[in-house]
Amino acid sequence: MSARKLLFAAILVAGCATPPKPNELDAFEKLKQSPNYQAAQRKAPELVSESERLFGKSNEEWQSNDLDLSRRDALMGSIKLKTALALVEYDQSKARADKAQAELRIVDDEYGRVNKDLMATQEQIALLQKLKETSSQAAMQQEKMQREMATREAAGQARDKIAAAELALKGAEQVNAAEFAKVEYQAAQDTLARARAQLDAKDYAMASQNADAARDQAARAMQTAKPTYEKSASTTASQARNEALARDLAGIPGAQVRLERRGDMQRAAVPLRGLFARKSTVIQPGSEGMLDALAAVLKKYPTYSVLVVGYTDNRGRRDELLARSQAQATAVYSALVGRGVEAKRMVVSGNGADEPVSDNRTTAGRALNNRVEVIFLYQ
Amino acid sequence: MKTVRNGVMALLVLLGAQALAGQEAEDLKRQIESQRAAVSDLERLDDHHMVTDEITLLKSWLDEAWQQYSKEEWKRVREVVDRCIAQAELIRDRITAGKMTAYANDREGAVRSTREKIERTKKALLDAQSTKKALEMNSK
Repeated sequence: MSARKLLFAAILVAGCATPPKPNELDAFEKLKQSPNYQAAQRKAPELVSESERLFGKSNEEWQSNDLDLSRRDALMGSIKLKTALALVEYDQSKARADKAQAELRIVDDEYGRVNKDLMATQEQIALLQKLKETSSQAAMQQEKMQREMATREAAGQARDKIAAAELALKGAEQVNAAEFAKVEYQAAQDTLARARAQLDAKDYAMASQNADAARDQAARAMQTAKPTYEKSASTTASQARNEALARDLAGIPGAQVRLERRGDMQRAAVPLRGLFARKSTVIQPGSEGMLDALAAVLKKYPTYSVLVVGYTDNRGRRDELLARSQAQATAVYSALVGRGVEAKRMVVSGNGADEPVSDNRTTAGRALNNRVEVIFLYQ
Repeated sequence: MKTVRNGVMALLVLLGAQALAGQEAEDLKRQIESQRAAVSDLERLDDHHMVTDEITLLKSWLDEAWQQYSKEEWKRVREVVDRCIAQAELIRDRITAGKMTAYANDREGAVRSTREKIERTKKALLDAQSTKKALEMNSK
């Protein structure tokens, strides 16, 4: 009996117990816990109040065990509330977007400023770098110009020195160094050729050095050749002068020039005949032409020493002949001095009958031996 | 006579009720069809697939509405159709809100990105100023 009562009581309790809450209602309750719920109430009051109504109704239906209806109303209530929450989310997102957009404008401005500063600084850097580069290029250019100037100067110096060496070599050539100082002259020429080659090869330092050496060698060649050359030149000049003298003497009317050598000395003797009557020491008239011509030649060649020597034939005493020949020579000497010939150039002597030029046994021979010779002496 | 009149009145009421029921059925059918057509628009709008589940739910409810319609459970059909309409509205609002959220995220991202750019540019500016100073010192 008691077991039957207990079973009845259990069935009664089970029948009166609340059924399990539908998932939809459970989810709806959780949705209501959303932090945006109050915002949803403000944003969409109608939707939220409708969802509230449906929530209450769903709860009642659940309590009254009408689960299907409870589920359907919970679904609809959830949709309404979710819609309200979606509207809130939209507003919140829009507010965020607006705020971000405003902030973006500010940061864009800031970025613009900073970037502008950066660009300006970079531009300044670029200008400074360009300036540095330009300065560097200018310095390099200046250095290059200085190098070029130095090179040009060195080239000029080398050319000048080569010219000086050429001049020295010309000087050496004038004293015939090629012949009289062969070694030095050839060395100077070789060195000068090297200097020229080095100038062409733009080795100005070596060109200068060799040009200096060539100039010195040319100077030495000139120094070596000069005495020989001068001697040679002097000899040549003397010879020419002597030849000219001989020609001029031959041009004197009635003169027969005799060229001869005695020891180191050369002599050009002009025998004057017929100036004196027999045994006279006074020059006969009519001899002026010959004396004038002779005096002119003597004055033309003032460097020659001259002997005025009298000669006679052998008729008479020796001392007498010597005195007469001396007197006749002196008469000629005086006549020449009288015609402007420098006295101290001339040495007068009387040799009497010595050194006859012809046979004294004949009249003609004796006439030839009676003479005064004007003798030009030279080497 | 009174009986006949009452019978005619009852017939008229019956005919009227039948006409009203037919009109509602037609209306419900049109609503279901228009909701079905709207689903593809919603799917197209949901290019970021934010409300895929909600759309699936909507589709299943539309199927349910159609099943109820076949059973001529008009009250039940009306209730499901109303829920579908509310769900479609919810989906639209969720998509709009989601797009606005994405836009807000995008703007906030742009702000962050710009702030980072500012930091980088400030650092580059400091470096450039040092370089400039060094160049100025060199040029003196």
